[in-house]
Amino acid sequence: MSLTRFLRHRATTPPTPQEATPPVLELVDIAKHYPASPPIKALDGVSLTVHPGELVGIVGASGSGKSTLLNIIGTLDRPTAGHAYIEGTAVAELSDADRSGLRAARIGFVFQQFHLLESSTAVSNVSNGLLYQGVPRKQRTRLAIDALERVGLGHRVDHRAAKLSGGERQRVAIARAIVADPAIVLADEPTGNLDSHTSADILTLLGDLNADGTTILIITHDQDLASAFPRRVTVNDGRIIDDHQTQFPTLIPAATQ
Amino acid sequence: MTSIPATATQHPHVEMQRPRSKLRAADAIATGTHGLRSRKGRTLLTAIGISIGIASMIAVLGISASSKADLIAQIDRLGTNLLHVQAGNDLFGDAAQLPPESPTMVRRIGPVDQASSVSALDTDVRRNKYVEDNNGLDVFAAETHLYSTLEASLAHGRFLDSQTSTIPTVVLGAVAAQRLGINNLQGAPVVDIGGRNFAVIGILNTLTLNPDIDRAVLIGNDAAETFLGAEIVPTAIYLRANPEHIEAVRDVLPPTVNPADPNEVTVSRPSDALEARAEVDKNLQNLLLGLGAVALIVGGVGIANVMVISVLERRGEIGLRRALGATRTHIATQFILESATLATLGGIIGTILGAAVTYTYATQQNWRIDIPIEALALGITAALALGALAGLYPATRAAHLDPAEAVRPTT
Ligand SMILES: Nc1ncnc2c1ncn2[C@@H]1O[C@H](COP(=O)(O)OP(=O)(O)OP(=O)(O)O)[C@@H](O)[C@H]1O
Ligand SMILES: [Mg+2]
Repeated sequence: MSLTRFLRHRATTPPTPQEATPPVLELVDIAKHYPASPPIKALDGVSLTVHPGELVGIVGASGSGKSTLLNIIGTLDRPTAGHAYIEGTAVAELSDADRSGLRAARIGFVFQQFHLLESSTAVSNVSNGLLYQGVPRKQRTRLAIDALERVGLGHRVDHRAAKLSGGERQRVAIARAIVADPAIVLADEPTGNLDSHTSADILTLLGDLNADGTTILIITHDQDLASAFPRRVTVNDGRIIDDHQTQFPTLIPAATQ
Repeated sequence: MTSIPATATQHPHVEMQRPRSKLRAADAIATGTHGLRSRKGRTLLTAIGISIGIASMIAVLGISASSKADLIAQIDRLGTNLLHVQAGNDLFGDAAQLPPESPTMVRRIGPVDQASSVSALDTDVRRNKYVEDNNGLDVFAAETHLYSTLEASLAHGRFLDSQTSTIPTVVLGAVAAQRLGINNLQGAPVVDIGGRNFAVIGILNTLTLNPDIDRAVLIGNDAAETFLGAEIVPTAIYLRANPEHIEAVRDVLPPTVNPADPNEVTVSRPSDALEARAEVDKNLQNLLLGLGAVALIVGGVGIANVMVISVLERRGEIGLRRALGATRTHIATQFILESATLATLGGIIGTILGAAVTYTYATQQNWRIDIPIEALALGITAALALGALAGLYPATRAAHLDPAEAVRPTT
């Protein structure tokens, strides 16, 4: 039900890549090989451009290289060949510390296993999204509460992460990813640990955030969920085999029925 | 590919300030203690490990300082200006005799305040004439002012005076009284010396500096001549001299006492023996300190161990922090701070423990309590340094975890 709302919303405001501004993300001929015999080609010749405001679903079988791709985009991993640009900055030329700075300010992450500090409250987990930018504590807390309200957890601010449900935990993680107002949010199987109903809620939330202007990349290996995204990139064996723009997605995912 | 492809330059954009990671000091501290706060049980146990080493070192320093303070107070009280002159031993190992005029000569030395001689008599003392003498006690003929020279005190009765020196009376040293079984003067106790009864008129308190007097019974010079037919020849002289010239006095004593054979004369300062006791303590103290240091190192290795485990367990947290923008330095700092905090906590517990042990022991021994502030500061500083050192390796490992690996789900 909420997903249909999301789809309707997408239908009225189709993604409008603004060619005038630089892409948020640009990958050129990216490869990631792991030494072995024969070498494991986790990624091979991947090129991808994402513009501000896009919502991109990345699908593919297990082991196809989706996480590797996302980690390279997020500057957590380095490609063995090719070039990656975040907002026009060549990542390869950055030192480890500069890449950390880039992540702190411009990239938000959402993980399948949430990665929350269990003994900390929701608000302090979210405020950690600003920790490594040197934002003063008071201001962090204020922004964290705002972010929690945006993800619909205004009533769970002081709850410990360990006491929250799976869906609530992922909302906290999403709030943490958006609290610093990043250029791009990268979500690796954000619904992988959630039941189908909660998954739909989380996807709707991400859709709403995107509608408000946040650029989001979501990995999922659920084809049905992925079909809801206006743009779907299919990865197979380390290569992009399909990059599909759907202005008006028609398929209603089974998960919401 | 060596050159940056054209696609990058198709989208020139205003060069914005490169974002930099930074962590405020207060946040670094909060981050560095977060792991400890969320694992309180483990934190306490690990801290206790290091606290044992610190506690034992503090206790060793505190107890020996307290014991030393007590000894020094004791030496001060007894005085370091008492000298003991002896003629050395003759061929048979008995105390040899000093020239008869030697006490007078000694009194003429400028810085000498007072001097008294004793003469060891060749006789034995017994409880009565029916028991064997096997008590190892000496009989000394003494001058009446020996009492003031030694700064002695009486447990019972009085000391020899000009009158009692001439009649058959004795004053017992503390050990002598005990061995003779005379604990007080009730019933007018007597002892047998050379087959003759002598009335006990006084019992001395223990003389810490003069155990030889403790083991002796003292009679007056006149009484010794009259009733034992002894010839009074000094065998030892006790003297008090001006403390500032004590070394000079020491040097002139042998030629003054026995100009013919100065090498025969031995001069000793009884307080030296007490000071030597403090030096003996030093060796023991070093040994115990060494053991404490070993305990400390074991505690440090324990901390390093716990930190390594912690880094393995918190792979996901480290990956998350890298994803949130932490640099390697931030991660390393977090774990070094955590390790140092853990150890400092142990240092504080250990310091309190060590001070408590010192307090209890010193109180039990009736000592003055003296816990050196430097020892306390040193204990906590040592713990802090050790903790930082122990954290170095785990922190380096944490900092060099591959962030992409660290955020991957553990399967
Ligand atoms: N550190 C590594 N060393 C060697 N091979 C690796 C390493 N990391 C990933 N791989 C391999 O790279 C390939 C891509 O892995 P990746 O995790 O990106 O797949 P994925 O699409 O995310 O799969 P899943 O849907 O199961 O999460 C896999 O074959 C994987 O085994
Ligand atoms: Mg994956």
